[in-house]
Amino acid sequence: MQEQKAIISWKVAGISLGLLLTLATFLVQPLGVSTQFVVTDAVVAHKVVPEATEKNAYLAKYGEKEGWGIGYGWMMVFGMFAGGLVTSRLLSAKQPDADKGSMPKMWESVFGGSRQKRFAAAFLGGVMLLFGARLAGGCTSGHMISGISQLALSSFIFGIFTFGSAIVMAHILYRKRG
Amino acid sequence: METLVIGFLIGCAFGAILFMGGATSYRRILGTLLLKDMWIIKLMCTAIGVGTLGIYLLDLGGLANMSVKPAYVGGVAIGGIVFGIGWAVSGYCPGTCVVGASEGKFDAIFTVIGGLVGALLFSFAFPYLEAMLIEPFNFGAVTLRDLTGVSGIYLAIPFSAMLIALAFFVLKDRYE
Repeated sequence: MQEQKAIISWKVAGISLGLLLTLATFLVQPLGVSTQFVVTDAVVAHKVVPEATEKNAYLAKYGEKEGWGIGYGWMMVFGMFAGGLVTSRLLSAKQPDADKGSMPKMWESVFGGSRQKRFAAAFLGGVMLLFGARLAGGCTSGHMISGISQLALSSFIFGIFTFGSAIVMAHILYRKRG
Repeated sequence: METLVIGFLIGCAFGAILFMGGATSYRRILGTLLLKDMWIIKLMCTAIGVGTLGIYLLDLGGLANMSVKPAYVGGVAIGGIVFGIGWAVSGYCPGTCVVGASEGKFDAIFTVIGGLVGALLFSFAFPYLEAMLIEPFNFGAVTLRDLTGVSGIYLAIPFSAMLIALAFFVLKDRYE
Protein backbone atom coordinates (compact mmCIF):
# COMPACT_ATOMS: atom_id res chain seq x y z
CA MET A 1 0.00 0.00 0.00
CA GLN A 2 2.96 2.36 0.35
CA GLU A 3 4.89 1.58 -2.82
CA GLN A 4 3.62 4.65 -4.68
CA LYS A 5 4.94 8.08 -3.75
CA ALA A 6 3.23 11.36 -4.65
CA ILE A 7 3.77 13.79 -7.53
CA ILE A 8 6.33 15.76 -5.55
CA SER A 9 8.25 14.49 -2.51
CA TRP A 10 7.50 15.53 1.07
CA LYS A 11 10.79 17.44 1.01
CA VAL A 12 9.79 19.58 -1.98
CA ALA A 13 6.23 20.03 -0.66
CA GLY A 14 7.43 20.89 2.86
CA ILE A 15 10.06 23.41 1.73
CA SER A 16 7.60 25.03 -0.74
CA LEU A 17 4.93 25.28 1.94
CA GLY A 18 7.38 26.86 4.41
CA LEU A 19 8.45 29.41 1.79
CA LEU A 20 4.81 30.11 0.86
CA LEU A 21 3.99 30.70 4.54
CA THR A 22 6.93 33.13 4.77
CA LEU A 23 5.76 34.96 1.65
CA ALA A 24 2.17 35.16 2.92
CA THR A 25 3.37 36.48 6.31
CA PHE A 26 5.44 39.12 4.49
CA LEU A 27 2.66 40.21 2.11
CA VAL A 28 -0.51 39.97 4.23
CA GLN A 29 -0.75 37.45 7.10
CA PRO A 30 0.02 33.79 7.85
CA LEU A 31 -2.04 30.99 6.25
CA GLY A 32 -5.37 29.95 7.76
CA VAL A 33 -8.40 28.05 6.51
CA SER A 34 -10.96 27.24 9.20
CA THR A 35 -12.16 30.84 9.75
CA GLN A 36 -13.43 30.86 6.19
CA PHE A 37 -15.98 28.15 6.97
CA VAL A 38 -17.50 30.64 9.43
CA VAL A 39 -17.30 33.44 6.86
CA THR A 40 -19.07 31.24 4.30
CA ASP A 41 -21.80 30.40 6.83
CA ALA A 42 -22.10 34.07 7.80
CA VAL A 43 -22.36 35.37 4.24
CA VAL A 44 -24.90 32.73 3.18
CA ALA A 45 -26.96 33.04 6.37
CA HIS A 46 -26.99 36.82 6.02
CA LYS A 47 -28.52 36.47 2.56
CA VAL A 48 -31.25 34.16 3.87
CA VAL A 49 -32.01 35.42 7.39
CA PRO A 50 -30.19 38.75 7.84
CA GLU A 51 -31.65 39.70 11.23
CA ALA A 52 -31.07 36.35 12.93
CA THR A 53 -27.54 36.27 11.52
CA GLU A 54 -26.70 39.72 12.87
CA LYS A 55 -27.94 38.63 16.30
CA ASN A 56 -25.60 35.61 16.29
CA ALA A 57 -22.54 37.13 17.99
CA TYR A 58 -20.06 34.72 16.43
CA LEU A 59 -21.33 34.98 12.84
CA ALA A 60 -21.60 38.76 13.21
CA LYS A 61 -18.02 39.01 14.46
CA TYR A 62 -16.68 37.50 11.23
CA GLY A 63 -19.43 38.67 8.86
CA GLU A 64 -19.15 42.35 9.76
CA LYS A 65 -15.38 42.40 9.18
CA GLU A 66 -15.87 42.35 5.43
CA GLY A 67 -19.33 43.96 5.37
CA TRP A 68 -21.03 40.55 5.01
CA GLY A 69 -18.94 39.84 1.94
CA ILE A 70 -15.70 37.99 1.31
CA GLY A 71 -12.13 39.14 1.84
CA TYR A 72 -8.53 38.05 1.51
CA GLY A 73 -8.89 34.86 3.54
CA TRP A 74 -11.88 33.58 1.62
CA MET A 75 -10.14 34.25 -1.69
CA MET A 76 -7.18 32.26 -0.40
CA VAL A 77 -9.37 29.22 0.32
CA PHE A 78 -11.10 29.67 -3.04
CA GLY A 79 -7.61 29.73 -4.57
CA MET A 80 -6.84 26.42 -2.84
CA PHE A 81 -9.84 24.91 -4.60
CA ALA A 82 -8.73 26.39 -7.93
CA GLY A 83 -5.11 25.28 -7.47
CA GLY A 84 -6.20 21.77 -6.57
CA LEU A 85 -8.66 21.67 -9.45
CA VAL A 86 -6.11 22.71 -12.10
CA THR A 87 -3.20 20.59 -10.86
CA SER A 88 -5.36 17.51 -10.28
CA ARG A 89 -6.66 17.74 -13.86
CA LEU A 90 -3.25 18.40 -15.43
CA LEU A 91 -1.31 15.87 -13.37
CA SER A 92 -3.91 13.17 -12.88
CA ALA A 93 -1.75 10.63 -14.73
CA LYS A 94 1.04 11.14 -12.20
CA GLN A 95 -1.15 10.78 -9.09
CA PRO A 96 -0.77 7.33 -7.50
CA ASP A 97 -3.91 5.22 -8.13
CA ALA A 98 -4.09 4.51 -4.39
CA ASP A 99 -4.75 8.23 -3.77
CA LYS A 100 -7.59 8.55 -6.28
CA GLY A 101 -11.33 8.30 -5.75
CA SER A 102 -13.77 8.66 -2.88
CA MET A 103 -13.40 5.18 -1.38
CA PRO A 104 -9.92 4.68 0.11
CA LYS A 105 -8.83 1.00 -0.01
CA MET A 106 -7.65 1.20 3.57
CA TRP A 107 -11.11 2.31 4.71
CA GLU A 108 -12.82 -0.39 2.62
CA SER A 109 -10.64 -3.13 4.09
CA VAL A 110 -12.06 -2.47 7.58
CA PHE A 111 -15.41 -0.72 7.09
CA GLY A 112 -16.58 -2.33 3.84
CA GLY A 113 -17.58 -0.90 0.49
CA SER A 114 -20.65 1.08 1.53
CA ARG A 115 -20.38 4.57 0.08
CA GLN A 116 -23.09 5.84 2.47
CA LYS A 117 -21.01 4.73 5.44
CA ARG A 118 -17.85 6.41 4.16
CA PHE A 119 -19.68 9.63 3.30
CA ALA A 120 -21.49 9.68 6.66
CA ALA A 121 -18.12 9.34 8.43
CA ALA A 122 -16.64 12.06 6.23
CA PHE A 123 -19.59 14.35 7.06
CA LEU A 124 -19.47 13.71 10.81
CA GLY A 125 -15.70 14.07 10.77
CA GLY A 126 -16.16 17.43 9.05
CA VAL A 127 -18.63 18.59 11.72
CA MET A 128 -16.12 17.73 14.47
CA LEU A 129 -13.18 19.24 12.56
CA LEU A 130 -14.75 22.66 12.28
CA PHE A 131 -16.45 22.66 15.67
CA GLY A 132 -13.09 21.77 17.24
CA ALA A 133 -11.10 24.18 15.08
CA ARG A 134 -13.38 27.11 15.89
CA LEU A 135 -13.31 26.32 19.60
CA ALA A 136 -9.50 26.14 19.49
CA GLY A 137 -9.18 29.18 17.22
CA GLY A 138 -7.60 27.50 14.21
CA CYS A 139 -6.81 24.31 12.31
CA THR A 140 -3.85 22.52 10.78
CA SER A 141 -2.87 25.51 8.66
CA GLY A 142 -3.59 28.41 11.02
CA HIS A 143 -2.69 26.78 14.31
CA MET A 144 -0.25 24.00 13.55
CA ILE A 145 1.72 25.23 10.54
CA SER A 146 1.41 29.02 10.86
CA GLY A 147 1.03 29.10 14.64
CA ILE A 148 3.93 26.85 15.56
CA SER A 149 6.08 28.65 12.98
CA GLN A 150 5.40 31.84 14.98
CA LEU A 151 6.31 29.89 18.15
CA ALA A 152 2.84 30.61 19.57
CA LEU A 153 2.10 28.95 22.90
CA SER A 154 -1.55 28.24 21.95
CA SER A 155 -0.48 26.44 18.78
CA PHE A 156 1.90 24.12 20.64
CA ILE A 157 -1.01 23.22 22.95
CA PHE A 158 -3.29 22.67 19.95
CA GLY A 159 -0.68 20.52 18.19
CA ILE A 160 -0.16 18.26 21.21
CA PHE A 161 -3.88 17.69 21.89
CA THR A 162 -4.82 17.33 18.21
CA PHE A 163 -2.15 14.77 17.39
CA GLY A 164 -2.74 12.96 20.67
CA SER A 165 -6.46 12.59 20.08
CA ALA A 166 -6.13 11.81 16.35
CA ILE A 167 -3.53 9.09 17.01
CA VAL A 168 -5.74 7.48 19.67
CA MET A 169 -8.83 7.69 17.44
CA ALA A 170 -6.99 6.22 14.42
CA HIS A 171 -5.80 3.29 16.54
CA ILE A 172 -9.35 2.71 17.80
CA LEU A 173 -10.69 2.72 14.23
CA TYR A 174 -8.01 0.36 12.94
CA ARG A 175 -7.47 -1.72 16.10
CA LYS A 176 -8.12 -5.06 14.36
CA ARG A 177 -5.32 -4.43 11.93
CA GLY A 178 -2.90 -3.22 14.59
CA MET B 1 -8.84 44.39 -4.71
CA GLU B 2 -5.11 43.81 -4.77
CA THR B 3 -5.14 41.78 -1.55
CA LEU B 4 -7.98 39.65 -2.95
CA VAL B 5 -5.81 38.75 -5.96
CA ILE B 6 -2.81 38.06 -3.72
CA GLY B 7 -5.02 35.85 -1.55
CA PHE B 8 -6.25 33.93 -4.55
CA LEU B 9 -2.74 33.37 -5.90
CA ILE B 10 -1.32 32.28 -2.53
CA GLY B 11 -4.29 29.91 -2.22
CA CYS B 12 -3.61 28.47 -5.69
CA ALA B 13 -0.04 27.68 -4.69
CA PHE B 14 -1.18 26.26 -1.34
CA GLY B 15 -3.76 23.99 -3.01
CA ALA B 16 -1.29 22.84 -5.66
CA ILE B 17 1.36 21.99 -3.03
CA LEU B 18 -1.15 20.03 -0.92
CA PHE B 19 -2.41 18.09 -3.93
CA MET B 20 0.99 17.35 -5.45
CA GLY B 21 2.54 16.54 -2.08
CA GLY B 22 -0.07 13.86 -1.38
CA ALA B 23 -1.62 15.70 1.59
CA THR B 24 -5.14 14.80 0.42
CA SER B 25 -4.29 11.10 0.54
CA TYR B 26 -6.36 9.10 3.04
CA ARG B 27 -3.77 6.30 3.28
CA ARG B 28 -1.03 8.81 4.10
CA ILE B 29 -3.06 10.73 6.70
CA LEU B 30 -4.22 7.57 8.46
CA GLY B 31 -0.78 6.00 7.95
CA THR B 32 0.71 8.96 9.82
CA LEU B 33 -1.86 8.75 12.62
CA LEU B 34 -1.20 5.00 12.94
CA LEU B 35 2.51 5.95 13.19
CA LYS B 36 3.48 3.82 10.20
CA ASP B 37 3.77 6.20 7.25
CA MET B 38 5.72 9.33 8.20
CA TRP B 39 5.15 11.21 4.90
CA ILE B 40 2.67 13.78 6.24
CA ILE B 41 4.49 14.47 9.50
CA LYS B 42 7.80 14.85 7.65
CA LEU B 43 6.11 17.27 5.25
CA MET B 44 4.69 19.27 8.18
CA CYS B 45 7.96 19.33 10.15
CA THR B 46 9.80 20.58 7.06
CA ALA B 47 7.15 23.25 6.37
CA ILE B 48 7.22 24.47 9.99
CA GLY B 49 11.03 24.33 10.08
CA VAL B 50 11.34 26.50 6.97
CA GLY B 51 8.39 28.70 8.04
CA THR B 52 9.79 29.40 11.53
CA LEU B 53 13.13 30.46 10.14
CA GLY B 54 11.46 32.50 7.37
CA ILE B 55 9.07 34.31 9.70
CA TYR B 56 11.70 35.16 12.31
CA LEU B 57 14.13 36.33 9.59
CA LEU B 58 11.37 38.64 8.32
CA ASP B 59 10.81 39.73 11.91
CA LEU B 60 14.45 40.81 12.22
CA GLY B 61 13.68 43.45 9.58
CA GLY B 62 10.28 44.22 11.12
CA LEU B 63 8.60 42.74 8.03
CA ALA B 64 6.55 39.88 9.53
CA ASN B 65 2.79 40.42 9.73
CA MET B 66 2.36 37.93 12.54
CA SER B 67 -0.99 36.73 13.79
CA VAL B 68 -0.63 34.89 17.09
CA LYS B 69 -3.67 33.13 18.52
CA PRO B 70 -4.57 33.55 22.21
CA ALA B 71 -3.69 30.65 24.52
CA TYR B 72 -6.96 29.90 26.37
CA VAL B 73 -5.87 26.49 27.56
CA GLY B 74 -9.28 24.82 28.05
CA GLY B 75 -10.80 25.75 24.68
CA VAL B 76 -7.61 25.10 22.73
CA ALA B 77 -7.10 21.68 24.36
CA ILE B 78 -10.74 20.52 24.08
CA GLY B 79 -11.06 21.99 20.58
CA GLY B 80 -7.87 20.13 19.66
CA ILE B 81 -9.28 16.84 20.97
CA VAL B 82 -12.55 17.24 19.03
CA PHE B 83 -10.59 18.29 15.95
CA GLY B 84 -8.30 15.26 16.25
CA ILE B 85 -11.25 12.85 16.34
CA GLY B 86 -12.74 14.52 13.25
CA TRP B 87 -9.35 14.32 11.52
CA ALA B 88 -9.00 10.58 12.12
CA VAL B 89 -12.65 9.85 11.19
CA SER B 90 -12.74 11.88 7.96
CA GLY B 91 -9.08 11.57 6.94
CA TYR B 92 -9.05 15.27 6.08
CA CYS B 93 -8.43 18.60 7.76
CA PRO B 94 -10.21 21.85 6.85
CA GLY B 95 -7.64 22.73 4.18
CA THR B 96 -7.15 19.31 2.60
CA CYS B 97 -10.90 18.65 2.33
CA VAL B 98 -11.21 21.76 0.15
CA VAL B 99 -8.41 20.48 -2.10
CA GLY B 100 -9.81 16.92 -2.05
CA ALA B 101 -13.19 18.34 -3.08
CA SER B 102 -11.50 20.07 -6.02
CA GLU B 103 -10.15 16.68 -7.12
CA GLY B 104 -13.75 15.45 -7.23
CA LYS B 105 -13.48 13.22 -4.16
CA PHE B 106 -17.00 12.84 -2.78
CA ASP B 107 -15.86 12.02 0.74
CA ALA B 108 -13.97 15.34 0.78
CA ILE B 109 -17.08 17.17 -0.43
CA PHE B 110 -19.04 15.62 2.47
CA THR B 111 -16.30 16.76 4.86
CA VAL B 112 -16.62 20.34 3.52
CA ILE B 113 -20.41 20.25 4.01
CA GLY B 114 -19.93 18.76 7.49
CA GLY B 115 -17.44 21.53 8.19
CA LEU B 116 -19.94 24.23 7.26
CA VAL B 117 -22.47 22.58 9.59
CA GLY B 118 -19.87 22.24 12.38
CA ALA B 119 -18.91 25.92 12.12
CA LEU B 120 -22.60 26.90 12.23
CA LEU B 121 -23.22 24.68 15.29
CA PHE B 122 -20.24 26.32 16.95
CA SER B 123 -21.67 29.78 16.29
CA PHE B 124 -24.78 28.79 18.31
CA ALA B 125 -22.71 27.20 21.08
CA PHE B 126 -20.23 30.10 21.22
CA PRO B 127 -21.93 32.22 23.95
CA TYR B 128 -21.95 29.24 26.35
CA LEU B 129 -18.50 27.94 25.43
CA GLU B 130 -16.98 31.41 25.62
CA ALA B 131 -17.84 31.74 29.30
CA MET B 132 -16.76 28.18 30.06
CA LEU B 133 -13.69 27.49 27.93
CA ILE B 134 -12.46 30.66 26.24
CA GLU B 135 -12.47 33.38 28.90
CA PRO B 136 -10.97 31.37 31.82
CA PHE B 137 -7.27 30.40 31.83
CA ASN B 138 -6.51 32.71 28.94
CA PHE B 139 -2.80 33.49 28.83
CA GLY B 140 -3.21 35.76 25.80
CA ALA B 141 -1.54 35.79 22.40
CA VAL B 142 1.92 34.88 23.64
CA THR B 143 4.86 33.24 21.87
CA LEU B 144 7.86 31.42 23.29
CA ARG B 145 9.77 34.65 22.71
CA ASP B 146 7.43 36.53 25.05
CA LEU B 147 7.61 33.76 27.63
CA THR B 148 11.38 33.34 27.65
CA GLY B 149 12.46 36.89 26.82
CA VAL B 150 14.95 35.41 24.35
CA SER B 151 15.25 37.15 20.96
CA GLY B 152 13.03 35.33 18.41
CA ILE B 153 15.73 34.39 15.95
CA TYR B 154 17.77 32.64 18.66
CA LEU B 155 14.77 30.44 19.38
CA ALA B 156 13.88 30.00 15.71
CA ILE B 157 17.28 28.76 14.52
CA PRO B 158 17.61 25.77 16.91
CA PHE B 159 13.88 24.96 16.64
CA SER B 160 14.03 24.95 12.83
CA ALA B 161 17.19 22.87 12.85
CA MET B 162 15.55 20.37 15.20
CA LEU B 163 12.44 20.00 13.01
CA ILE B 164 14.44 19.66 9.78
CA ALA B 165 16.69 17.05 11.40
CA LEU B 166 13.61 15.23 12.66
CA ALA B 167 12.11 15.12 9.16
CA PHE B 168 15.27 14.30 7.24
CA PHE B 169 17.10 11.95 9.59
CA VAL B 170 15.02 10.74 12.51
CA LEU B 171 11.46 9.87 11.39
CA LYS B 172 11.35 6.62 9.43
CA ASP B 173 8.42 4.70 8.01
CA ARG B 174 7.60 1.47 9.86
CA TYR B 175 5.83 -1.33 8.02
CA GLU B 176 5.34 -4.86 9.10
